[in-house]
Amino acid sequence: MGALTGWLDEFAWGAFLILRVFLVAAAFTLVFGVVGAAARLSGGVWARLAGVYVTVFRGTPELLVLLLFYFGGAVTLTALARLADPGAGFVDIPPFWAGALAIALIAGAYATETFRGAFLGVAPGQIEAARALGLAPWAILLFVRLPQAWRIALPSLGNHLIGLMKDTALVSVIGLNEIMFTAKMATSVTGQPFTMFAAVAVIYLAFTTALSAALAAAERRARRHLAR
Amino acid sequence: MGFDLAIVAESLPRLAEGLALTLALIAASLAGGALIAGPATWALLRPSRWLRSPARAYVWAFRGTPALVQLFVIYYGLAQFEWLRETSAWAVLREPFWCCVLAFSLNSGAYTAEILRGAIAGVSDEQAEAARALGLSRGRIFRLVVWPQALRLALPPYGNEVVGMIKTSALASTVTLAEITGVAETIAAETFAPYEVFLSAAIIYLALAWAAERAVAAAEHRRSWPQ
Repeated sequence: MGALTGWLDEFAWGAFLILRVFLVAAAFTLVFGVVGAAARLSGGVWARLAGVYVTVFRGTPELLVLLLFYFGGAVTLTALARLADPGAGFVDIPPFWAGALAIALIAGAYATETFRGAFLGVAPGQIEAARALGLAPWAILLFVRLPQAWRIALPSLGNHLIGLMKDTALVSVIGLNEIMFTAKMATSVTGQPFTMFAAVAVIYLAFTTALSAALAAAERRARRHLAR
Repeated sequence: MGFDLAIVAESLPRLAEGLALTLALIAASLAGGALIAGPATWALLRPSRWLRSPARAYVWAFRGTPALVQLFVIYYGLAQFEWLRETSAWAVLREPFWCCVLAFSLNSGAYTAEILRGAIAGVSDEQAEAARALGLSRGRIFRLVVWPQALRLALPPYGNEVVGMIKTSALASTVTLAEITGVAETIAAETFAPYEVFLSAAIIYLALAWAAERAVAAAEHRRSWPQ
């Protein structure tokens, strides 16, 4: 344990980086989920495309998606750069963005299904009642449909966000210098790999536990007007 | 930059060689997970805090941390302990394959225990009560009444766990194993064709996930309530 003390600031920085990846990816997850659900509900070609998106990103290993994004992005960017300037060197996507986007696309595929189900899960009587009260379609969507869909979606969206938090560990594989990197570096200096990787595990456990507590609070808040 | 189907055609047979290792990892880890889940579920359902708390801590720790971190704790971490390196277990624990199986089994065991706990709790109490009224012993109530119904409830979430394990097995490539993802990384480095190679690998994983979903759906169908 004593070996840890010299590395606490590095671990703190790595943990901060993990949080940043998570927050950026969570924002994209919501966007992908909403767009995906809208596409699935719209019918036609868009619905089928969104269906393929969901199937592919839910059935492929997260690591593979990340590798595809990172190395694929590099090949594409390099090709584009050489179109502009034939002498251009190798260009790659910053691992932060390749990683955040890749794990957000995966969580977004799960969120697509969650949001679609939640949108359809709002009781039809609610919509009818709103229409009977003379609410405009946009007002029905904004004040009746979305708040209730949000309540239905929260528990399973929460699970996907916890999954997303754990997926941030994968970003180390494509070279982002976060806590996994810190642990490797600290191991090579101190020769105590178990201590260092256990520290990473403890950091993640703290993050996922805090996130579950926050999600439980959000669920209570979404249900606060309901009699229990 | 185009999409070179010749590279796909060349990669697929090599990726298929990695398939055997992927399947071995999945099978061994799911089996290991089931072995751990049995006693863990039993402990989760005990009234005694001394049995329940450690089981809860295990489920919490392994569901709350990334599988990659669990794998690294075992693969890189265990070497820290001199005494462990002197035991005969070290011959097994220094093999990346067995490190993966151990890490993935512990991971799967936590999820499976939680699935089984939920399923057993989901069987209505009246079923056990009725069986008790018929004079069945506690062991037979569990074996003949509660367990078959719990199994039915557990199948859909267990299907998700199997698909999850297929995806988790890809992490083995980070500890040098040449399973599908590991082979794909090697080919991608040789050919500089990441799209062709990684998409080919993705197709194999999708086929595996599809097959697993079909198998679980078939098992569910066999155990569905008589209509």
